[in-house]
Amino acid sequence: MMQTPNNHPLKHHIDHEVEANDRVMFGFWVYLMTDLLMFAVLFATYAVLHGNTLGGETGRELFSLPLALTETILLLTSSFTVGIAMVMAREGKKAQTLLWFGITFALGLAFLGLELKEFAEFIHEGHTMQSNAFLSSFFVLVGTHGLHITSGLLWMAITLVVVMKRGLNQHLVRKLSMLSLFWHFLDIVWIFIFTIVYLRAFV
Amino acid sequence: MNNQIHHKLVVHHDQHKTIDSYIIGFVLSLIFTAIPYYMVVNQTVTGTSLLLTILGFAVLQMLIQIFFFLHLGRGPKPLYNVVFFASTVGIILIVVGGSVVIINNLHHNKTPADQTKSLVEGEGIYQIHGEHTGACHGQYPNHQVTIKNGVVTPEHTSAQKCDTLTFINQVSEVRELTFGEHPEHKSYAGETEYIIRGGKSKTITLSESGTYQFHDHLQPETAGDLTVTQ
Repeated sequence: MMQTPNNHPLKHHIDHEVEANDRVMFGFWVYLMTDLLMFAVLFATYAVLHGNTLGGETGRELFSLPLALTETILLLTSSFTVGIAMVMAREGKKAQTLLWFGITFALGLAFLGLELKEFAEFIHEGHTMQSNAFLSSFFVLVGTHGLHITSGLLWMAITLVVVMKRGLNQHLVRKLSMLSLFWHFLDIVWIFIFTIVYLRAFV
Repeated sequence: MNNQIHHKLVVHHDQHKTIDSYIIGFVLSLIFTAIPYYMVVNQTVTGTSLLLTILGFAVLQMLIQIFFFLHLGRGPKPLYNVVFFASTVGIILIVVGGSVVIINNLHHNKTPADQTKSLVEGEGIYQIHGEHTGACHGQYPNHQVTIKNGVVTPEHTSAQKCDTLTFINQVSEVRELTFGEHPEHKSYAGETEYIIRGGKSKTITLSESGTYQFHDHLQPETAGDLTVTQ
């Protein structure tokens, strides 16, 4: 067996790689935290304005709890499947990685479909962003989350095509771990939307 | 070679542990979604305690995601990401909590008359230190005023203090019910106007006595008056 002393060039290289990897992941974490701060401001706006309906329908009259629950279960499940997908990616199992990320993608797409259906129904019934302060803050908060989901899905689709073509390498696994971090993070934000926007309307 | 196999086994073992933690986290997160949902649907508790309970479950849910899915705190030390996360949570608590507290204060700290009104309507307090707050307590008769085709029916309403009055908008357009004579508006019990959407109604408590005129701001000839006696 070859000895690898501390000053071996290969070991240096590996250390450097690990360090770079940690730095990139930390940078992405910083981005997520600033994004979280933006969501916090939108939550504060919603908390302050949710009662200002200008004589229109309140959240209790507009929201459907079963729909919100379905969306929550879809997103929670996708957060689980993206975790499994990452385990597979770190083990270098390409087919399994693609399968579990594929399931995550489908769940995310179903979530987005339900959200858009809800928005379309509201707008069709005349409950738009311009109706009152409650709906303005609602559409901005939930819509911003929806936009994040959309960009997450696009990112996932592009990365998966690259994985399909080139197979898994260290660089791609790092990209996938950032993506999974992003996805878990969106799940956490959604849990607060589910609680503060949907459940709270029925308290 | 031996070393390599050992390394592989360790990695494999770790991955198993990771999958287990995902499964545990997933099951727990489903449970912690089902409980608050069930509580809200069945209204097992109500009001502030229900609100605090569901918020508590949301925080639990977040902690599950952080420990079982994100594995925060298991990375290389020092844990800069944990520190950064904690400071973010601190800022969020200040921004969100601060906004909510300030706005609630604004809602509560109105004029003393408004304060009494909110005490009575919100909390049901009609006596403070044995003194009557002048607020209404108990059941009182209801009067109805209908707005339809530019006419207010009945045109004159007489009521006693503490009675309730319901304005019913029977047309499909929005109506802006305003007190006083057009175009100079006055207020009744702190409110200057009620926006009533098509087919909707608005019920108010007649907490001030006197004679008041009211009209539809969008159609000033649609007018009536209201006499409230002690």
